[in-house]
Amino acid sequence: MTAPTRQLIGSILAAAAIVAVVIVAVTARLGTTSVAELEAREDRQKARLQQREEAREERQKLREERLKRRGGG
Amino acid sequence: MEDLVGDIARGNVTEVKVVLASVVMGLACYQLFLIAVGYGRVRPSFLAARPASLAHRAVGDALVVMVVVVALMCLSYFGFGEDTTVHVVAATALLAVLALKIAVVRWWHGLGGLLPFLGVSVFGLLALTWLTSAGDFLAER
Repeated sequence: MTAPTRQLIGSILAAAAIVAVVIVAVTARLGTTSVAELEAREDRQKARLQQREEAREERQKLREERLKRRGGG
Repeated sequence: MEDLVGDIARGNVTEVKVVLASVVMGLACYQLFLIAVGYGRVRPSFLAARPASLAHRAVGDALVVMVVVVALMCLSYFGFGEDTTVHVVAATALLAVLALKIAVVRWWHGLGGLLPFLGVSVFGLLALTWLTSAGDFLAER
């Protein structure tokens, strides 16, 4: 392979590297836009809220039972 | 067309357009370096003028395709907005100067002396078009 051919291929590869770097940098700046990932995030949030709600109801039930027992005893 | 663009970008038209426009901007900066080497203004030891000019032409061909794709996405999905006058004017001028540059490179060789001026104009208009759209969008994130 001659020097000019090598240099030409190197220049094109450098352009490809620039493309890759820009895509990575801009995508990182934009954050995720994947619909699947956004839906999964929403599902996780809903599940967390539901768990919290259930725990709150459980605590409320226990408190009421305790109060009932005290009132009865 | 609007539906096609939306489907291809899976609903993320703005984001895809910003990534593509930024790639074009990044490569445009590289093009300045390549043509500076091609014209002998910069003489790095690792790159001669002829391969630099050939690479400039090859990357330029790819850039034209990307610019047209971004322009089509922009027009079909967003149209002409009311508060985007600078962007619309810069983008329209960019397409016109780019078309003229291609005509000079391919057919009107007699106007070859205008190429440096046309190249710098393309870069300036591209920078302005990017700044008033993708640059703005990225700055707000």
